[in-house]
Amino acid sequence: MAGRLEGRKALVVGAAGADNMGQVIARRFAAEGAKVAVAGRNRAALDAIAGEIGGVAVECDFSERASIFAMVDAAKTSLGGLDIAVNATGWGLLKPFLETTQEEIDKIYALQLRGPFQFLQALIPAMEEKGGSIIQISSATATILFHDHDAYMATKAGTDHLVRSVANQFGDKGIRVNSISPGVTETPMTADAAAVPGVMDAFVKGYPLGRYGTSEDIAAGCVWLASDECFMTGQNLQVNGGLTLRANPSKADIEASVVAAMVAA
Amino acid sequence: MARLDGKVAIILGASDPRSMGAATARRFAAEGAKLVLAARRKDAVADVAGPLGATAVACDITNEDDLIALAKAAVDTYGKLDIAINYAGIEGGAPVIETTAEMLRQQADVHFVGTGLFIKQMALAMKDGGSIITASSLTVLVQAPGQGAYAGSKGGADVLVRVAANELGERGIRVNILAPGFTKSAMTDAYFAMEPVTRAFLKEMPLGRFPTVEDIAHCALWLASDEAFVTGQRIDVTAGQALRRTPRADEFA
Repeated sequence: MAGRLEGRKALVVGAAGADNMGQVIARRFAAEGAKVAVAGRNRAALDAIAGEIGGVAVECDFSERASIFAMVDAAKTSLGGLDIAVNATGWGLLKPFLETTQEEIDKIYALQLRGPFQFLQALIPAMEEKGGSIIQISSATATILFHDHDAYMATKAGTDHLVRSVANQFGDKGIRVNSISPGVTETPMTADAAAVPGVMDAFVKGYPLGRYGTSEDIAAGCVWLASDECFMTGQNLQVNGGLTLRANPSKADIEASVVAAMVAA
Repeated sequence: MARLDGKVAIILGASDPRSMGAATARRFAAEGAKLVLAARRKDAVADVAGPLGATAVACDITNEDDLIALAKAAVDTYGKLDIAINYAGIEGGAPVIETTAEMLRQQADVHFVGTGLFIKQMALAMKDGGSIITASSLTVLVQAPGQGAYAGSKGGADVLVRVAANELGERGIRVNILAPGFTKSAMTDAYFAMEPVTRAFLKEMPLGRFPTVEDIAHCALWLASDEAFVTGQRIDVTAGQALRRTPRADEFA
């Protein structure tokens, strides 16, 4: 049986960490029949995933405009076209609002707002002839709050609105642009926090479906948005088990949950 | 393996072959689902159900006994219920100052009370989790003068869906809203017959064409399938019109 992305050409940026969300998305795309270019900063990690899925590796520094444009160009050239592009980069900065430094604000702005902006600027000309589907990985925290996450949340929310505007402008070129919002997800980025007993117990109370998400959930959402069957554009798809119906735990909730886990142990 | 192998689905509002319900039924059948199709007119829905090997049931969404019988038909015939989709809807437009109590109650009865009872009875019949989808409307998001009673009743149902999703998650039941835009279907023939109307609407669609009932069916398939870790959400399939506006009546000249 043919895969749902048979013959499509896809670029996934943010795929240079072992088993991170970008790599899981790239694997799923390949399993659905797509030819995939994986991009990021770590050459060895990119070569490993590209080798595994029969794709191509493209180095990219998402904080540099020239690097972003060169990545899109290299991906399109080596794949022989570009139908799908996913931005799964991000920096999960946790820092109290009053202590967030100018350097941190500048860095997260460059990665999570300027980078996605320039990625879209590079993708539109690359896709305008044949159309395509662009997917921005956002966050539930662009909608609901989380402590010590201000710079992260604000840039993610800004990029969601940019997605709407670009979708509105380039729909007539057959380009669809959407974002996906995961909640807290089992990834290498969250592994350290998740290893502390009690932490994830606090998070799971926010999930009506009784579990938090996996990168596979997000990859499934990406397949839907990427496929030609999807007639959505300018949307933000919440793939997080209903988290936005409730809330993330407060700092005090997490601390209490960790204490409870220590007492129980 | 097809995407709905082994699943049992109810689709309410499938009496016209060119409806969203019928298109969804065809797609679901092709993906391996067992189907119970329902509408007020049993003879009409039986014509849609026949070629798909589906069961046809008469059901008025405003009558809770009908909904109980509908869920029972799925469980009795196929042993369980996994997916339930409500496309039942009625038209009805008037400026607010001309809207009667009767018009408001009729819209509320089908779209708000009906949706609430539908979710209740389908959820009660789902013993091992499931996916409930209810059709809303672009008019909830984008102003449509003359559609106050319609949009208000749909908007009320949207809020109800979100509460239901929050409550039903612990049973493994997902509840979501599928919001079509101005879709070419059996229900919109009269509008599509008026060229100035379609021209004005098309201008407000970034993707440059009208949604089709097949587009809606594809989205229903995604929301129905087990791989959608999504609940309490509203998915707009509007060709991007949700980003713009509804044309004014004076543009239809």
